[in-house]
Amino acid sequence: MEALFYVFSFIAIFSALMVVTMRNPLTSALYLVLCFFALAGFYVILDMQFLAAMQILVYAGAIMVLVVLVIMLLNISRIKNIKSDLHQKIIGVLISLILFAEIVLYIINGAQKRPSGIFTHALIKRIGNTQVIGEFLFTGYILPFEIASILLFVAIIGAYLFAKKKF
Amino acid sequence: MDNYLIVASMIFCIGALGVIIRKNLIVIFMSLELMFNAANLGFVAASNRLNLISGDIFVIFVIVVAAAEAAIALGIAIAFYREKGTVDIDMANELKN
Repeated sequence: MEALFYVFSFIAIFSALMVVTMRNPLTSALYLVLCFFALAGFYVILDMQFLAAMQILVYAGAIMVLVVLVIMLLNISRIKNIKSDLHQKIIGVLISLILFAEIVLYIINGAQKRPSGIFTHALIKRIGNTQVIGEFLFTGYILPFEIASILLFVAIIGAYLFAKKKF
Repeated sequence: MDNYLIVASMIFCIGALGVIIRKNLIVIFMSLELMFNAANLGFVAASNRLNLISGDIFVIFVIVVAAAEAAIALGIAIAFYREKGTVDIDMANELKN
């Protein structure tokens, strides 16, 4: 498990860096798919196989296919040569390094909370993680679930309005 | 759990870096997806550590929001490309003057 964690984190961070630095957006998209697969591997290590399957189906399957389709619809030679300024790069690297330092300091120095829930590894393994998630989703979180369906409906209408010729 | 959170924060910062330094609308969108995923990894690691299940439910909602956001953002990208002939965000300057 420990070795798998390091392998997956190396793949995830390397491919995330490649997403940001590659010039061709299509290469970035394929590296992003690789990053999603590495994150799905993390979910399997953390005993959430259902979320790993969701990650691959929805992110790597649906969303990235949509992104690749849009990249191919656009003229790729014209969108490949968009360059960013040097001072923009310097400021960006500084901001993200400072942000990372702050988060790591907080993680190291922050108060560690004790495990408070009842869903231990053994319990989730005994019931099955899909059943646990399903029961919670349709009992305690039924209102957010319904609101999510409204959100998806609004997104359909919005995408239609944006893709129309005239607003 | 600390290791997971540090990996998640690293991916989040790389995503933020991409949002700041790139000018291609589609690459900016992909960096945003990277940040979403870093948050998801944090949720799953924390709820695994604290023996809770709420974090895993949250991940499902984040995925729903990301799917809706993908549809809208790519619609905006196509509309922008149709208007300007490029996806360089420096061309989005109608409100400047």
